Amino acid sequence: MIEWVGRKTIAGYTYLAALATLSSQAFLDLILPTRQGRRESLQVLVRQILFTGVDALPVTTVIALLLGIIIVTQAGTQLPRLGAGGLVGSIIVVTVVRELGPLLTAFIVVGRSGAAIATELGNMSVTREVVALRLMGIPLSRFVIMPRMVGMVLSMICLTLYFDVVAVLGGYLVANAHLTIPFYAFLEGVIKALSSTDVALTALKGLLFGSAVAAVCCHHGLAVRSSFTEVPQQTTRAMINSFVLCLLIDVVVTVPLYL
Amino acid sequence: MNEAALILEQVRMPMLGSPHRLDVDLRIGAGEFVAVVGPSRSGKSLIVELAAGLVSPEAGRVILLGHDWAVDVNDEPSPVRLRLGAVLQQPGLMSNMTLFNNVALPLRYHRASMSERDRESAVMAQLERLRLVPMRDRFPAELNQGEVRRGAIARALMLAPDVLLLDDPVAGLDAEMVLTLKAYVEERQADQPLTVVAALRSFSPFIEGADRLVLLRDGRVEADGTRDALAATVAPALRRYVG
Repeated sequence: MIEWVGRKTIAGYTYLAALATLSSQAFLDLILPTRQGRRESLQVLVRQILFTGVDALPVTTVIALLLGIIIVTQAGTQLPRLGAGGLVGSIIVVTVVRELGPLLTAFIVVGRSGAAIATELGNMSVTREVVALRLMGIPLSRFVIMPRMVGMVLSMICLTLYFDVVAVLGGYLVANAHLTIPFYAFLEGVIKALSSTDVALTALKGLLFGSAVAAVCCHHGLAVRSSFTEVPQQTTRAMINSFVLCLLIDVVVTVPLYL
Repeated sequence: MNEAALILEQVRMPMLGSPHRLDVDLRIGAGEFVAVVGPSRSGKSLIVELAAGLVSPEAGRVILLGHDWAVDVNDEPSPVRLRLGAVLQQPGLMSNMTLFNNVALPLRYHRASMSERDRESAVMAQLERLRLVPMRDRFPAELNQGEVRRGAIARALMLAPDVLLLDDPVAGLDAEMVLTLKAYVEERQADQPLTVVAALRSFSPFIEGADRLVLLRDGRVEADGTRDALAATVAPALRRYVG
């Protein structure tokens, strides 16, 4: 038993070390750009932003709207019974902006782009495209990993903020139609509850979740060795580990603030 | 012998899927065209991968253009990579790029200062020479095996390398295309000093003009010399590899 725990702990540390190495190398490639391949890397980055950020807008809009509607419906019907009807605005800030917005956005990004990155890199490994890049003297980190990581981080931050805004809007739709709370009263409640720390925290979570998801998915994609059957296996692992890591980061970032 | 372009100095390592071990000592001069021939699992591909710095030997040294691959300590590509063109058994064309963009990739990455027009004309000249112009806008999945291989060879030659490593270069090529490829490689050799190391599993007209044939079996060099010398000396069972 002790041996098993020891083995798992070492494996966990090794895994986190591999992710840290991948992320730090990508960060170095970002801040120490060379003239070589700058345009090519930029093209990959733009494609990643389009795929992860822009293409994800419709699904993010739908989920955020529905979430806002659900939360305000529940809060608007339950809180007045406790004599706290005026807290509807702050409930949406507490639940969406601080917690559910960043988390659900991360889950959307993992499901769409994280899985796509792991699959793409897995297929590239099997078809020896990764080796071909190495043979051409094109660094994998600079051409493949860094643009994907940066694209995912930027997209995640923007999508998280967008998610929060749309969810609040969804909440307002219900507040206005069902609970007949006027727009200004709702907005006042939201603004009163919202602090600059909340906005900074939601952006920070976007940054951390984006980095974690990109690193995990790139790592698992490149872990594919010689068979196409490994690709879905590694993709599944990448998705599960991304979910777990995002929740872990969320706990580490959030809990100290409220202790 | 002239200056060595590639040295495999007492290289030893296990061979995947074979009970034998690779055990070779080879020196290939600059500008030479050397064909490494032999049956499957004799270690030909491994020699190409060693020469390309993709694998490290268990013992011995691999030196390409004066660069010892063992001193590569990180992922940062060594400058010698830009003097090397290599096409492996799986050519590895980028599946999300058209053939044109695949061939243009090394130029786009390493010759950023080159104008788009010059780049396009260089790529088109290469594609034309290998009869790939009609396929320029196709993706690798839309090409046949021979076209993919020729595309990869075109890409490997884009930076005008000093050494060209080819693993099974004639796989999927029809007889006419083999001769086209042979003529093209010889033409490039005439234009500039180009060392060619080609690994083949059987004799092909592609290596008729090779300066040297290295006959490999079970990881060991059975014979090394000109085609005529080998034809006269090797065991009858191996003569078919010499042609």
